[in-house]
Amino acid sequence: MIRFKNVSKVYGHDTNALKNVNLHIKPGEFVSIVGQSGTGKTTLIKLIIAEERPSSGHVIIGDWDITNIKPHEIPILRRQIGVIFQDFKLLPRKTVFENAAFGLEVAGVHSKRIHEIVPQVLKIVGLEKKMNRFPRQLSGGEQQRTVIARALVHRPKILVADEPTGNLDSINSQDIISLLKKINEFGTTVLLVTHNRDIVNALRKRVVTIDHGSIVSDQATGRYIL
Amino acid sequence: MFIFLGRTIKFAFQGFTRNIWLSVVTVVILVLTLFSVTIAAGINIIAEKAIESVEQKVDVSVYFEPDISEQEVLNVRYRLEELSQVESVGYISKEEALQRFIDRHQDDPGIIESIEEVGNPLGATLVVKAKSIDDYPTVLSMLESDSYADLIQGKSYDDNQQVINRLSDISSKVQRIGLIVSAVFIIIAILIIFNTIRINIYTHREEIGIMKLVGASNWFVRAPFLVESMLYAVLAVVIAIAVLYPLLGVIAPQVDSFFAGYNFDLVSYIHGYLIEIIAWQLGFAIVLSFISSSFAIGRYLRV
Repeated sequence: MIRFKNVSKVYGHDTNALKNVNLHIKPGEFVSIVGQSGTGKTTLIKLIIAEERPSSGHVIIGDWDITNIKPHEIPILRRQIGVIFQDFKLLPRKTVFENAAFGLEVAGVHSKRIHEIVPQVLKIVGLEKKMNRFPRQLSGGEQQRTVIARALVHRPKILVADEPTGNLDSINSQDIISLLKKINEFGTTVLLVTHNRDIVNALRKRVVTIDHGSIVSDQATGRYIL
Repeated sequence: MFIFLGRTIKFAFQGFTRNIWLSVVTVVILVLTLFSVTIAAGINIIAEKAIESVEQKVDVSVYFEPDISEQEVLNVRYRLEELSQVESVGYISKEEALQRFIDRHQDDPGIIESIEEVGNPLGATLVVKAKSIDDYPTVLSMLESDSYADLIQGKSYDDNQQVINRLSDISSKVQRIGLIVSAVFIIIAILIIFNTIRINIYTHREEIGIMKLVGASNWFVRAPFLVESMLYAVLAVVIAIAVLYPLLGVIAPQVDSFFAGYNFDLVSYIHGYLIEIIAWQLGFAIVLSFISSSFAIGRYLRV
């Protein structure tokens, strides 16, 4: 599903964000990417959603080599990958429904279809009764659920979560992780970037550890080792 | 396609209303630009019409000796008509000239009596109209040649050259001032639209980021800003016409009194070209908005 072949990313002349990374994530896997801040985790995600290009090597999503993806192809790629961030990135003047619908709206999906899909997705994330609220009227966990709903409306094959629990307390964090597991059970490949030791250890899923831009450990049922 | 268009317009309206004061200032500047350009063009048209009207009144009357036969006069007429500079040659026969003279002096019995005594003392007349005011010297020099000197009693050239020169002079000065004022406003408008779109991109940066993240096409991100700038243009044209049109009612009597006796009516002239004037204004405002917003989008909206 996601394949990195000898991928390196250099910023400027001498900042090596990633060094010769080889990684293969199979369809339907739940993989935690762990590592300390500034070790290249976010760069990895930026390469997957084509926000950055590798300095060398190849990035392949499905059968698609996106190493030299053309600008007009990027939206097509991003509709197949759901992305969740620590800082939510919700639009404050839009309701839960409108925020979740935004991805479909900008992709030119018909309004009737949007009104079919969005309530279903909001039900999955447990926000069906709060769809007319604004982000400021929601808890942190509920805001992150809204983001997950927005990421799911395209029915993506891959869900990338960059520190999704970074701004949440432990109860809300557990809720979000449970939701990600549920989404993974539906068949979506989930890539979780985190440095939350408890979450990684409780998951009992594959763990890839990055340190100074290199993969230092890749365990099928791993633990947080740093 | 319709969904794309509908949502683009929706986002454009949101951009317009969320920064309402900025939008108002942009529209006002565009309106002022349209004012200056339209007024400069209007003055240009009026000046051109004024010169044209005065030029139309210029002609040369050639008075022939009374004993010159009609055939000889018609020969001269034929030669004049052959000149490429000549627009038309009117012929007034001896009898017609006499009749006109009698009509003009019918209240003066002395003159009428003396005419009856001496018979017709008048010769035929040719009224020559040149194609342009600059062609009269050629016509006059031909009439002054030796072959015609014996036939012609006199010429009257009602020289409006001075009036025309003064009009041209005033019109070119006004035109120059109009051009400078318009250029200044055009530059200000381009800068203001550029800045408005830049600020709009800045205030929407979060939304733009999310749009890109969830897979909006590059055009879907850019188009609302372009449509928004078109919105400024359309609104500015509507306001400019709404203000300028009633203004026409105020200045039309002044302009018409200036043209009294000439064949020019400002209101009916404007009415005749109203659709074209609106189309020109719209085209001008849209091109202006399109250019400046494209620059801002190209510069500040990385997709």
